[in-house]
Amino acid sequence: MTYRTASIIAYIAFFAVVLALPLVLNSFWTNRVAIYLVYSICAIGISMSWGYAGILSLGQGLFFGMGAYMLAMSLTLAVPENNPVPQLMLLNMEPNAVRDLCCVTTGSFLWIPFRSIAVGMIAGIVVPCILAAGIGYVMFKRRTTGVYVSIITLAFALIGQLLIINNQPLTGGFNGLADLALLEIGGFEFDPYGPSAYYAVALTLIAVILLARYMLTGRIGQVLKAIREDEARARYLGYDVENFKVFIFCVSAGVAGLAGMLFTITSEFATPSLMATSLSISMVIWAATGGRASLLGACVGALIVNFVGSLASESATFQPVWPIILGLLFVFVVLFMPNGIAGIFKAFIERSGRTERLGEARPSGKTERADKSERVQTELTAREA
Amino acid sequence: MNAVHRPSKAETVSAVPILRTQKLTVRFDEFPAVRDVDLSIADGELRVIIGANGAGKSTLLDLLCGKTLPSEGEIWLRDRNITGIGEAAIARSGVGRKFQTPTVFKDMTVLENLQVASNRRVRVFQNLFDRVKSGPNDKEVAVAERTGLLGSLKRKASELSHGQLQWLELAMVLSQDPKIILLDEPAAGMTAAETDKTAELLLDLAGSHTVLVIEHDMAFVRRICKTITVMHQGAVLAEGTAEEIEGNPAVIEAYLGSATLSHA
Repeated sequence: MTYRTASIIAYIAFFAVVLALPLVLNSFWTNRVAIYLVYSICAIGISMSWGYAGILSLGQGLFFGMGAYMLAMSLTLAVPENNPVPQLMLLNMEPNAVRDLCCVTTGSFLWIPFRSIAVGMIAGIVVPCILAAGIGYVMFKRRTTGVYVSIITLAFALIGQLLIINNQPLTGGFNGLADLALLEIGGFEFDPYGPSAYYAVALTLIAVILLARYMLTGRIGQVLKAIREDEARARYLGYDVENFKVFIFCVSAGVAGLAGMLFTITSEFATPSLMATSLSISMVIWAATGGRASLLGACVGALIVNFVGSLASESATFQPVWPIILGLLFVFVVLFMPNGIAGIFKAFIERSGRTERLGEARPSGKTERADKSERVQTELTAREA
Repeated sequence: MNAVHRPSKAETVSAVPILRTQKLTVRFDEFPAVRDVDLSIADGELRVIIGANGAGKSTLLDLLCGKTLPSEGEIWLRDRNITGIGEAAIARSGVGRKFQTPTVFKDMTVLENLQVASNRRVRVFQNLFDRVKSGPNDKEVAVAERTGLLGSLKRKASELSHGQLQWLELAMVLSQDPKIILLDEPAAGMTAAETDKTAELLLDLAGSHTVLVIEHDMAFVRRICKTITVMHQGAVLAEGTAEEIEGNPAVIEAYLGSATLSHA
């Protein structure tokens, strides 16, 4: 079996399992797995920018959180008690302020467009994209690379988190936005604990994987890989490296924003902790564990790490040390399995493919290593001769 | 093939040198690494630049391909001023650069390296919906054959020998269809057999391509080239045939006791 066939089978199997899961899960676990699938979408975003283009963003949570907030704002306004002005603003308004969304608190007019759910949903992708394009443009035009990109993105996420916490009258502050309405599209309601929200997430995940794979196996994926390998060489071949980097950074932010919206649908809240450093770094760990250069790998990594994490959080012994375990896992993966689970899968398929062929050619069943050393030996003798 | 034989406005085109520099100067901390270099390369020429270590040869190539910005002076490619337009734009306007230590995309196959190099649609959205062929096209086969890489198309670049890496980078530069090729010591680190092959390749390129080569090895230089430019302390010291250069008193004085020429 070639690696290509094997990976197609792996993708199909993964999609089948994801689609079948609600049939066997209770409502609690349907909701939990839906959230893990949301995290998988985040990991895909990381894989696109880090795995394919070598841009390690430690601020992906910023875009994720923005996506979550955009939709959460719309869903806050969809609750009848929050009309015409959300409760959180009434609690924080000046005594004689006008009770209207235009001017009840400073900047509250920013909420006006979010009266429309559609605006919230579009903004959840577009706003992170625009912000990423701005940050990316400044960063990449100045030829910032490597660890500096990570530090800058991390700083932006911290700024985002602080802005939300410090602007309580506008954003709900530390408590974030809770008590949201359920998302309803065309009379169809997405129940976070039922199959509807689950399938919204699952189908989005599958669509994101397929689109990302189509894009990254095409010409642009090849160019991005080349930029990852040697940015200067790509430039001397005539590519405007910055534009490609801004593009993929932007797409990756859009994917994170989309995931953020799905998070709001499945968790029914948005808090500043979505922009916390720990979540951004966790996303990187998920992608690294699964294999950063593999979309499916990154997905599976997110699922496994979160599933194990949730088991650990139920145990009194493991719950307090889970962050430490997660940190050690990252160190281990970076040192010993740089291509993550996907890398192990690939090595396994390629090895079994090789032994199959060897087995056909030579029934005596020599080990691969013996065979290799023998081949080197023959080559050496040939060269001497 | 030469510009002279092309119909219409060919005369004016051939009159302008393909590459020309005017008083090209770059200073690093007030130290002039390249000083007032006026270079003029004709269409189809194979020109070699020689000079001791630190004479400014590589820096000159860096200036020409945009890696380093000149402090003063101008670079003209045919009738276009390409000074300071950025590496990518310079590359697109027709300057191909091969570095001394081969820079290729190590984790990609030879074919993928060539595909990235020969893809002339360099904008993001031109590439977005473009698929990549799994096999080589005619152009890629031709360039791989020319550089002896036809049998290695499916191999990863990281598996190639040093000599093959040099050829791969050259093949990539050729795939760009450049107007002028800048080569920094193309035979560095090659075995005698590989050097022979490289010399043949360069002679083969001359005529159909304009090539500017930096080289240390005088024996190699004499094999491939008619006109030599000698650089010394950042400036052009002399220009002429191998015989003229070796008989030039200024060159002899500059190189007195230096291994480069006496070795030759």
